[in-house]
Amino acid sequence: MASTGDAIVRLEGIDKRFGDVQANQGIDLEIRAGRIKALLGENGAGKSTLMSILAGRIKPDAGRIHIAGAARTYLTPREAIGAGIGMVYQHFTLIEALNVAENVCLGQSAGFWHDPRGDRRQVARLAETVGLEIDPAAPVARLSMGERQRVEILKLLQRQSRVLIFDEPTSVLTPPEIEQLFRALRRMAAQGKAIVFISHKLGEVLEIADEIAILRRGRIIEERPKAAYGARAELARRMVGRDVLLDIERPAVELRQPVLQIDALGGGGLQEVSLRLRQGEILSIVGVAGNGQAPLVQTVCGLQAPGAGSVEILGRSWDRFFAGSRSGLVYIPEDRLGLATCARLSLLDNFLLTTRRRFCRGPWLRRAPAAARLQALMADFAIRPADLGLAARQLSGGNLQKLVLAREFFRRPRLIVAEQPTQGLDIGATEDVWHLLLQAREEAGILLVTGDLNEALALSDRLAVMYRGRIVDNFSVFDTRKVDRIGQMMAGIE
Amino acid sequence: MIPISLHKRPAPLTWPSLLILAGAVGLSLIASALLLHWQGKPALAGLGLLFQGAFGSLHALEDCIIKAAPIFLCSLGVAVAFRLQVWNIGAEGQYAMGAIGATWVVLSCPQWPAHLLVPAMILAAGTAGGLCGLIPALLKVYLKTNEIIVSLMLNYICILFLDYLVYGPWKDPVSFGFPMTTVFPPAAILGPIGGTRLNWGLVLCLAAALGFWVFFRFTRLGYELTVSGESRPAARYAHLPYQRLVVTVMVASGALAGWAGFLEASTTINRLQPSIMVGYGYTAIVVAWLARLHPASIAAASFMLAGLRVGVENLQLEMQVPAAFGGILEGLILLTVLAGGLFGHYRIRWRGRS
Repeated sequence: MASTGDAIVRLEGIDKRFGDVQANQGIDLEIRAGRIKALLGENGAGKSTLMSILAGRIKPDAGRIHIAGAARTYLTPREAIGAGIGMVYQHFTLIEALNVAENVCLGQSAGFWHDPRGDRRQVARLAETVGLEIDPAAPVARLSMGERQRVEILKLLQRQSRVLIFDEPTSVLTPPEIEQLFRALRRMAAQGKAIVFISHKLGEVLEIADEIAILRRGRIIEERPKAAYGARAELARRMVGRDVLLDIERPAVELRQPVLQIDALGGGGLQEVSLRLRQGEILSIVGVAGNGQAPLVQTVCGLQAPGAGSVEILGRSWDRFFAGSRSGLVYIPEDRLGLATCARLSLLDNFLLTTRRRFCRGPWLRRAPAAARLQALMADFAIRPADLGLAARQLSGGNLQKLVLAREFFRRPRLIVAEQPTQGLDIGATEDVWHLLLQAREEAGILLVTGDLNEALALSDRLAVMYRGRIVDNFSVFDTRKVDRIGQMMAGIE
Repeated sequence: MIPISLHKRPAPLTWPSLLILAGAVGLSLIASALLLHWQGKPALAGLGLLFQGAFGSLHALEDCIIKAAPIFLCSLGVAVAFRLQVWNIGAEGQYAMGAIGATWVVLSCPQWPAHLLVPAMILAAGTAGGLCGLIPALLKVYLKTNEIIVSLMLNYICILFLDYLVYGPWKDPVSFGFPMTTVFPPAAILGPIGGTRLNWGLVLCLAAALGFWVFFRFTRLGYELTVSGESRPAARYAHLPYQRLVVTVMVASGALAGWAGFLEASTTINRLQPSIMVGYGYTAIVVAWLARLHPASIAAASFMLAGLRVGVENLQLEMQVPAAFGGILEGLILLTVLAGGLFGHYRIRWRGRS
């Protein structure tokens, strides 16, 4: 067993290019036993590429991987596992129909016979060594996201992984679960494991890491012990290479007529949900993903009929609103490339997706005036590159989101439903999107569904916390007493 | 491990993809030459005969075009549905129903003049084929059945229905027991263009192709179909009437295949008989994939596969090669061309081990 501080894996001069994009360039990195290394960078900085190279999923174009005293040009997935490198992906790779112990031990027993009870005992022992609470006999389908993540960790421990890579591990967790994960990470590090923690959440990185490596545009621009960094703002500046606004200015807007009234909405996983939203305000729905936000959004956006209770949109009942022209309501979904746009179609065709009715004459679709309008909008919203013929997937996440906003705001909305509008965007693009939403608030009421508490606090006038299909509480952002307890509310403790 | 690596090209190749296509077809020809050699036939001479038979004379070329027309119409129909990612495998049955519809008009009103009879036949063929496409569409929309299975099984029902008609109620009383209807009157037969053996059915093909192109390029419905075919979730997001679109494309798809049935009955066979079913509806699927659902490419691919059929007939006569050889060659071309598509999207590099 390597002792604390010894390098388990050393990367040297790793290059990787995808088409025109240099994803990794000349990367040197040492991953040491007993240390938690944070890999910090904006989206698209090359973090995931680098870790996929380490996990054997991508072959680098150049460079060397030193592992167990030998130098190689690349690893196969099997070699990576053999070398003790394991990864917890953002999207879990568990089999829902099996229980915890079966998932952990899957493919591990060499013999012909299967020993369920022995497996359960072994998994329970394993969980105890790192302080992860889990019932080995529980079916995975019934576990929360936090518990599933623990199963993923146990899988790696079962394989005797010495290097554990976590890709944005906190995005699906409640604040108490994050605490528990961090305790487990520290414990594993103390047992001599090397931990790599990929994130773009500065606060978490400062809390958990021993060493911080900052990636920018495919290069590691610096790597130092945590103590070398002061405040979050300092870290943020180094990450994007310029000063960023973490607190955004929010001008007061006069509240006008209600645009959304929900009373005792039920069905589809919702229970007694009641909300009011008026023109001129942003109401954030916060909570851990999967606590009823999706059915709420689907109901408001007309993709799912209300099971019980009443929904009134822009002064009309749900039935009448969606039987009519639906004008005034826009939906900015979380899944930009799969739902809000078609990846392979041109930007112009994607613009027409929700605006086509304005450019129709009889059965004909008139693309020329639509193109002129889009050209002007892309200049206004600073969307680059401004080429209408590009496919949606050729745009970066930030530019694509701005295109979706430009398209939806062009429809002069009075009720905007925005779902995780800055997820996966870098800080610069996040700021742009925040400004656009605050601007839109002057003409519309905005229902913002977000998993990022900072975003909710930065943008909203009021907050509603969801847990298990209910609104736990609904309060002003200035109610500091309640704001402080959001974490407990999200976890269902209050 | 094979020491090669694939690199995605920033943009798919344009004109060099024609070279890839030629290479793929060449490869399948080499494979079929080997097959001929196995059979103990002279391989090169066999391929020569194949080409001679397909494209070697004016007569052969005319034959190819005549055979290409129904394949083209069926394939255009299949492509409409495929663009929505609705898998209509029922072109064969819709083609049969089209032929039945056209024949019904002829048998009901044999004395009508051509300018009434031909439009009525086209209308009836389109309607019959369209109705045949409507069945799997409605079952898919309302009962969530799989359109592949339903449309495929409907083929057999339609073909057996055709058999029933020509063996039973529609049988020509003076056919000496052969299963066939009476010969169509001249008014029901599309005439030749000028001094050639080509017929006015080509105009129908041209109109269908033009309609297809205009529809997808300039109409709202065409745009909505393209979007829905690209992404179901995005279509739902944009509140597109997906189910109505499914019904629309299946009816259009069936109508186009129905027209092919009309064309074959009117121009080639001049009556209805079981031998009208020669698998055009299945070849159409191969053509649609080879052509990646573009109408001009569908025309080219229809001509190519029609040539293959004509050429193999020649080979059958001259060298006693089994008829299945044509099907094998068709399959080989599809496989190599689809596999060749990889080179259009990826660059291949040999990597040296260091």
